[in-house]
Amino acid sequence: MARLNADNVALAERIIARYPKPRSALIPLCHLAQEQDGWLSEEAMAHIAELIDCTPAQVLGTASFYEMFKLHPVGRYCVNVCTNISCQLLGGEELLEHAEETLGVRSGGTTEDGMFTLEDVECVAACTEAPAVQVNYRYFHRLDTEAFDELISALRAGELEDSVPPHGTLAKVRQELDGDRVANITAPQDQSKPVWIERAEAAARSGGDDS
Amino acid sequence: MSDAPKTTDAPKTDAPKTDAPNTGESPKPIEITDPVEINVDGEQLTVQNGELLIDACERNGTYIPRFCYHPRMNPVGMCRMCLVEVDSGRGPALQPSCMIPVSADMSVDTTSDAVAKVQDGVLEFLLANHPLDCPVCDKGGECPLQDQTYAYGPGESRFVEEKRHYAKPISLSETVYMDRERCILCDRCTRFADEVAGDPLIHFINRGSSTEVNTFPDQPFSSYFSGNTVQICPVGALTAKPFRFKARPWDLTVKESTCTRCSVGCRITVESSRDEVLRYQGVDSDSVNWSWLCDKGRFGFEAYNSPQRLREPLVRDAEGELAPVRWSEALGLAADQIRRAIESRGPASVAVIGGARSTNEGAYAWAKLAKTVIGTDNCDAQLGDGLPAEAVLGLSGLTIDELCAPGGTVLWLGPDPLEELPVLQLRLRHAVINDGVRIVEVGSRVTGLRDLVAQRIAARPGETPGVLRQLFETAPASGDTGLATAAALLREAGDDLRVVVGRPNLAESEDVVLESISVLRSSVPGARFMTALGRANVRGAIEAGLAPGLAPGGVSLSNAAVSDAWSTVPAETGSGSAGILEAAAAGRIDVLVLLGADPISDFPDRSLARRALAATPTVISVAPLLDASAAEARIVLASAAFGEVDGTTTNLEGRVTAVTQKVNPPGTARPDWSIASELAVRIDPAVELGRSAAALAEEMWSLSDAYAELAERPESPSGPEGVLCSAGHALELPATPDVELPAPDSYSLRLVIARKLYDGGTLLAASDSSAGLADDAVALLNPADAAPLGVQNATRVKLTSANGNVTLPARADDSVQRGVVVVHHNLAGADARSLVAAGDTVCDVRAEVA
Amino acid sequence: MGYLDGFKVTLRKWAGVHTDTGRRLTMEYPEEVRPKPERFHGRHVLNRYDDGMEKCIGCELCAGVCPANCIYVRGADNDPDDPTSPGERFGYVYEINYLRCIHCDLCVEACPTEAITESKLFEFAFTDRNDAIYTKAELVVDDDGRPQQLPWENWSGGFDPAADTSGWMRATSPSGNAEFEGLVAWATELGYGTRDAELGQVADVPADEQPETPDEGGH
Repeated sequence: MARLNADNVALAERIIARYPKPRSALIPLCHLAQEQDGWLSEEAMAHIAELIDCTPAQVLGTASFYEMFKLHPVGRYCVNVCTNISCQLLGGEELLEHAEETLGVRSGGTTEDGMFTLEDVECVAACTEAPAVQVNYRYFHRLDTEAFDELISALRAGELEDSVPPHGTLAKVRQELDGDRVANITAPQDQSKPVWIERAEAAARSGGDDS
Repeated sequence: MSDAPKTTDAPKTDAPKTDAPNTGESPKPIEITDPVEINVDGEQLTVQNGELLIDACERNGTYIPRFCYHPRMNPVGMCRMCLVEVDSGRGPALQPSCMIPVSADMSVDTTSDAVAKVQDGVLEFLLANHPLDCPVCDKGGECPLQDQTYAYGPGESRFVEEKRHYAKPISLSETVYMDRERCILCDRCTRFADEVAGDPLIHFINRGSSTEVNTFPDQPFSSYFSGNTVQICPVGALTAKPFRFKARPWDLTVKESTCTRCSVGCRITVESSRDEVLRYQGVDSDSVNWSWLCDKGRFGFEAYNSPQRLREPLVRDAEGELAPVRWSEALGLAADQIRRAIESRGPASVAVIGGARSTNEGAYAWAKLAKTVIGTDNCDAQLGDGLPAEAVLGLSGLTIDELCAPGGTVLWLGPDPLEELPVLQLRLRHAVINDGVRIVEVGSRVTGLRDLVAQRIAARPGETPGVLRQLFETAPASGDTGLATAAALLREAGDDLRVVVGRPNLAESEDVVLESISVLRSSVPGARFMTALGRANVRGAIEAGLAPGLAPGGVSLSNAAVSDAWSTVPAETGSGSAGILEAAAAGRIDVLVLLGADPISDFPDRSLARRALAATPTVISVAPLLDASAAEARIVLASAAFGEVDGTTTNLEGRVTAVTQKVNPPGTARPDWSIASELAVRIDPAVELGRSAAALAEEMWSLSDAYAELAERPESPSGPEGVLCSAGHALELPATPDVELPAPDSYSLRLVIARKLYDGGTLLAASDSSAGLADDAVALLNPADAAPLGVQNATRVKLTSANGNVTLPARADDSVQRGVVVVHHNLAGADARSLVAAGDTVCDVRAEVA
Repeated sequence: MGYLDGFKVTLRKWAGVHTDTGRRLTMEYPEEVRPKPERFHGRHVLNRYDDGMEKCIGCELCAGVCPANCIYVRGADNDPDDPTSPGERFGYVYEINYLRCIHCDLCVEACPTEAITESKLFEFAFTDRNDAIYTKAELVVDDDGRPQQLPWENWSGGFDPAADTSGWMRATSPSGNAEFEGLVAWATELGYGTRDAELGQVADVPADEQPETPDEGGH
């Protein structure tokens, strides 16, 4: 859809400054763009390439590798139904079929109102809670068809706004750390001792366990 | 066949044949400095400690099959084809030989059952998705995947499912097609684009079985080096438009030669079928091009195949039209005119410009014709876009290897290497990134060295000598300025400074370059120089004698030893191109020979060139294509072009390498030396210039000690490294003229005329796939200069100098220094040379919105 | 009259022509035409598929394998909107010089698409050397699947596609069934369309129960 807006450019610059090489900020910036638009557009990828001084092809190469970067518009809620072995045994595929009927789209499709994108996914590491569903990567466990319908209507009604933010919203890239807690941003060839080791050594020298 | 036992003693047929030119697939030569013993298939070998196992084995005669490994790129271990059993003391294990450095007492088995099984398995996996369309595929017949499947692969596939399908070839760029079905994801092309060319415009996209190599949407792979990816692709996934479906590999016959599109002198193979050159491939010359080529060179054969090629001599008829005639008539007329000119106004009324397109033999024949038969010294291989011959021959002494030697410091005063000497740019890029070479660049705009320079110092045209004085004499010892950093770098290099000089700006006089050279020679007496002039064989032509005041072998006329071949030399010293054209414009030249030169398109002062040609009664053009100047000539002699003549060429290092005839010239076109020889005998029947190119070469090489090796072994230039003849020219540099820069006035911007790789040149215009690649002319201004003028994107501006004006679109570009306007040479839309007068030091222009 | 003894043979043979009981060797050629052997190699044809598309893909394998160097092929890109052959590439130039051709049939062996096969036509003589070079336009089968009769060719014996198609030995199965690789069979083919599995290569009969490969004779 669009390039990064001015606020996000400022944030992007702060993110880039966290790393020894600008290119290391590629994935955080993709997250940032996805947070802005809900998906990762070509314009955003080209803008990221400008910001980290590489080519758009390199950004696309990395972004297209990762399932969680969506290169096409997706709904506000990305509903992932697990169909891997544990969930399949406990009704995952039936649940997916039901979801397709409920939402009126095939797996991979987005509802016309732009609310939901339905996807079938491989194992989401919730085998003990099968069948599992993720909505924007938040877990919903042991869903049967009624529970799924309730979940969808709750999402439609906006009852889960607090626990399930719109697709793309991520917290980590907004993290602001104190200067001395930032990971070492000295280029490898200029590195001496990492700050945390120095910190630990200083603590050891002072004799106390003031951690 | 599938269950037939594999015969272990069957010859492995896919190893590159030893007599074929090495197109970069064989290991680069090394010197063993740290020997270790390893055991390969029961044989004890002595190899270099730390070199890659795959190279060590191949160098000793054991070829390990591979797809992704390329000796000129970093190994990645993508394809798993080179797995061999390696025992480093902990028992044998399958390891990729392209990722394993050899170490002492390593024991390697390349033929064990486990290795055979893994090779079989890797190939079966690769072929699961690779289409079996070999008969249609351009690579079929020279395809590593095909060859290795026959040698190591399974007879049958167990994969019965449908293969992947993609749209058949998509265009990655103007010249390169991609067929994603055939791609085996070896990472060679993407690695080349990223590591070697520095244009990572292609990349793996998507993941798993949908991985493909592609560009970003609407951002084509517009690299000057894209053709190399076609050469290194181990399957038919990447194909080149100019060769697509033109012939099958087994149709082609191959000869090794040297590319003559610029002065780097890359070694190539010339491949032809049915008397038509269809392909060039890069040959791995360790000292020059490392198997890489630029696209302009790689696809240059198209121009020589073009239907516009001159097939017979032309003479202007009564109506003033150029009409075909017989050779005897054209040569007779030319000889008559020359003889008449000598008789009426003396030999100095005949002049020869050009020769840098020719072979050394062609240039020598013409030099001998001019200087001994005609008796004129008005000869110049350069077109006012070079440096004095004494500087070209007297200064040099730096090879590409020395320039790029690890840890060195390079002072770059030359042209944009990416645009004029592309493969040198690749070598420099490798040197900076991998070998710690530091480049200090002084110039008026950012060049292709953009990301490679350690420090760039901005200098407007004419200011370089001043900047150098500051750098070496008055620069602050410390500080944070660019000048101080650069000065510190140069000081650190001390006497071991490598300097590249050239003509980065056609609107700047050569005197400025000479002054820079003299500043450097007094400040850093040990500095070594490379003269980076773009014209292909300019150095060879000068050495052959096509320069005023010089005899062959780089000796001045006054010192020329009298020999049988050179019994007489012109009494008076002649002038260079600028002098010749001025004399011609003043009516003092009767016959002007253009030896493959096109002053109307190339001489920096276009109006002088036009006036000179118009005022000369007889202009004789010796050219393969009708260029702008040939179209004005009275006599046009069709000359044989590259690939149609045998001989030698000399690159910017002074390296003499062979060029070879592969096909016949079109029609009755003849080699330059033969034209000179025919003319000589018509001017003076007692003279015989030479019976063959080889005889001319032998005579030329006997004239100077610099060619001792060539004289002794005349066949030596045929090797991929040629013969380096850079020593032995004891020439006085011309006295440094006093360069005075004009005082600043209302003409506030200083003009830079730079070159682009793809321009409106005659050869490029005759190439189908390259003709569309030239941009239109644009005036590039620094944003700070553009803003007050109100220049938006593509605003048309009028540039006015004391000599004329041009109007063209302008664009703000921060790669251009303040106070400078850059216009590229020979692009459609505007010719900035009409602003320039020959002899001016620099050219100041005023810009206003038109 | 001993010299008349020599005529006995002649008379006997002459009489045999009329009685048709003698071992007659002479025929009234060209009015009468002797049937040609199954493996007879005549001039080539370029075949087409059922939909009329040319089978030749311009791969030049025939030219590459030709020991007499008499085949000249050049490929070109198919126009995607109006293709000449299926796929990307088609034979743009296809020429056979019959002054050089030795009818060895290696081109037929090499062809991956069965585009080039041989007929049993051999009766052609030229008065112009250029006529000896058959171009693609002359080699491609007609719309009825038969070779084109060129002005200098003698077809007095008529043309029966089944009988006048040269049989050629195939060592691989046209159906691509690997089980039959190495089972050699004769095929006679020319004209239009794809071929059935050969004799002895019927997919639903196990390999060891296949009939013996015949010495001669196609299907």
